[in-house]
Amino acid sequence: MTQQPPTPLWTNDTSEARMTGTWRSAMPNYKNLPSPCRGACPVGGRIAEWIREIELGDYKKAWTILADNNPFPSIAGRICHHPCETDCNRNQLDETVGICNLERFVGDLALKENWSFPAPTVSRDTSIAVVGGGPAGLSACYQLRRLGFKVSLYEYQKQLGGLLRYGIPAYRLEKKILDGEIQRIIDMGVDVHLNAEVGSAEALKELHEKHDAVYLATGASRSKNLPGLDYSQSWVMDSADFLAETNAEMACDLGKDLVVIGGGSAAMDVARTARRLGRNVTVLTLEPEDKLPAHEVEVVEAKEEEITFVSGAMMQSVEVNGEQITLKCIRVEFLQGEARGQFTINPIPGSEFELVTNGVIPSIGQDADLSRWQDLLNSEGPVISTDKQWQTSTPGIFAGGDVASMDRFVTQAIGMGKEAAFAIARQLAPVSNETSSPDDPMVPYSVINTSYHSTLRRHLAANSEVEARLQTFDEVQQPLSHDEAVAEASRCFSCGTCILCDNCYLYCPDMAIIKLEDGYEVKDDYCKGCGLCVAECPTGSIAMQEEK
Amino acid sequence: MEQINYTDEGQFFSGHVACAGCVEAVSLRVILNTVGPDAVAVVPPSCTAVICGGYPFSSVKIPVYHTTLESGAASATGVKRALVKKGKPDTTVLCLAGDGGTYDIGLQALSSAAERNEDILYICFDNEGYMNTGGQKSSSTPVNAVTGSTPAGKSTKKKNMIEILAAHRIPYVATASPSDLNDMAAKVKKAQGMKGTKVIIILIPCLPGWGVADNSAVKIARMAVESGVFPLFEIEGGLDYTMNYSSKNGSVKEYLSVQKRFRHLNEDQISSIENDVDEDWQRIADKAGV
Repeated sequence: MTQQPPTPLWTNDTSEARMTGTWRSAMPNYKNLPSPCRGACPVGGRIAEWIREIELGDYKKAWTILADNNPFPSIAGRICHHPCETDCNRNQLDETVGICNLERFVGDLALKENWSFPAPTVSRDTSIAVVGGGPAGLSACYQLRRLGFKVSLYEYQKQLGGLLRYGIPAYRLEKKILDGEIQRIIDMGVDVHLNAEVGSAEALKELHEKHDAVYLATGASRSKNLPGLDYSQSWVMDSADFLAETNAEMACDLGKDLVVIGGGSAAMDVARTARRLGRNVTVLTLEPEDKLPAHEVEVVEAKEEEITFVSGAMMQSVEVNGEQITLKCIRVEFLQGEARGQFTINPIPGSEFELVTNGVIPSIGQDADLSRWQDLLNSEGPVISTDKQWQTSTPGIFAGGDVASMDRFVTQAIGMGKEAAFAIARQLAPVSNETSSPDDPMVPYSVINTSYHSTLRRHLAANSEVEARLQTFDEVQQPLSHDEAVAEASRCFSCGTCILCDNCYLYCPDMAIIKLEDGYEVKDDYCKGCGLCVAECPTGSIAMQEEK
Repeated sequence: MEQINYTDEGQFFSGHVACAGCVEAVSLRVILNTVGPDAVAVVPPSCTAVICGGYPFSSVKIPVYHTTLESGAASATGVKRALVKKGKPDTTVLCLAGDGGTYDIGLQALSSAAERNEDILYICFDNEGYMNTGGQKSSSTPVNAVTGSTPAGKSTKKKNMIEILAAHRIPYVATASPSDLNDMAAKVKKAQGMKGTKVIIILIPCLPGWGVADNSAVKIARMAVESGVFPLFEIEGGLDYTMNYSSKNGSVKEYLSVQKRFRHLNEDQISSIENDVDEDWQRIADKAGV
């Protein structure tokens, strides 16, 4: 009997016939959750997305994404209080990404290249009056024009800008930057009325009759008065007047040595402006130095400019002797209250001291003038009361910015203007402009795979030399160079923003992820649900989702 | 961020039966797509045999010859010589084996092939044990690691296979890790372009065998490289050392602590392992002139 050779076993198909997807209990989902910077941003800016465009070199696209939520990138890039940088996930690896410096880089480039906003794609007959040409009002004008509404802007000053023009000194924000970014909004077709005060309930009512809705953003221009100080004296000057006059390049009549009272941002602006006018400046604050409401960098820069701080103390009385003014002061214990701006103070007996000066500029905050509209609009404490949609007690009249909120940062006003514009739009016309749900969780640091991000110190924008600063009102903060900006942009984790790096695709052990032109798709026939793609995603854009 | 830059040419198919999250599959994908279509694979019993096969299906586009556990390198030798006789001298012959088929049962065949400098590209997927048969220890299992056959921890050290191979003075020996796919692809490409016996040992953290999470194998491999437990280096001609990742900035202790097989270690055992890692690293670094 002859033995048959063994028959070789040949495969006859590929393993693709086997559906390994049945093993799975969870599947990756490309979620693109919001980054923490976006969550912290007062205008809800898509920060990770526009920074990515800088890294890729498409600056115009970066600007377009930026300007979606904020028409003032050049301004915000200079003066925003940047809560985005505080919340930046990169803080937990080395240092925050310099978001503000990058915003300024894009904003300045847009002005230099003369990029303009596109004309609205629809045109509506509905017309809206915006009262107040500051950051909130202009932001509302911009968003309403984009949605195709007719917009009339009423400003009681002779120029637009509000606090940006009359409150922020030129060494922080150059006037030509301000003019450029305002003009770009006006060029979208805003009907501007200057020197047009809406000073009474009747005037407001009349305006409301002429328009389908009114947005009130008149700011808070009335200074709070410091008790025990006689404002009629020639050696006292209100801080808002001081800033408005110096910003208009008017001369200052106060003497050589000045005391600025207050620890907020405006007080820093006053003190530093006075320094540039050749005065010796002392800042007197109730708050101890580590609790000053002004931004830390402002205090640091003020000190660099040889401004003296006397913190944790208050003025009790004044003695005048010719040119010489003596402020009788006492140290205080400062106890922060729960709400912003709330506090209690206890003078410390026996700690009295004196400050001798030639002039005093109180700068302890601003109030809105609400009495003029009291017949028409309800107020709540120091601001006009509004509902969640920024609508006042009179339907059709909306309010925002400093007149309706104690959130007093410029970018918060810009954000409020945007929100009100969308609220007005929703009420007047069927427009869809849904942003992501505020309930979405932010991308936490723990889901960023940091092995794809090497540690690298921040490229910080430089300041000009102190001596040069004190000679002029030129901007202190210098721009990032092109190379610095691109390098800084590359530090961004792009939290929650897919950067099309292919890690998920190439790390999939099962070839279960396919590449699309602008993203990826999971093949549920084969995905075993291991989660390796999620673990190796450098940006935290993917999450596993349980399947039912 | 450095992009992974190899291209998937469709050489490895979905539907294979590697465990969910297995980085041996990820590595196979890199190797097969880097080597390309003009190749034949020889596979002794191993996880790879299971992943590639499962009769009547194949997950690999090139022909695969399944051979016996002790004869991977010998079979690859035969296939290569036959291809040369058939006028196909340029066809790459890959031997894809596990650490059992390399360090233990296949060592005689590999040593002989290396001694003859047979023209094969030998890949060892080193998951430090017989993980395909339930997780018994191999001579690649590191000291103190718990396996099915060393329930109190292995009492001897991992065999230094790389230097055994280097002692054969073959053209190319290298280590690679699934945490650096660019490095892995570059080494495969480089080895493919050389004549003679080339061996690449790839560390494969085994999810069930090492007791780690399904999504963590790349992370564990990265920790092994960064802590110096598994240095990435090449030895050309048996003498010329190059280190590919020359900083040692990770923690050995952390690498050990995330794996169930090392969970029982006491401080003395950990510091003894740390000393071994430091010594090995220093010896390689000295040879590489780092």
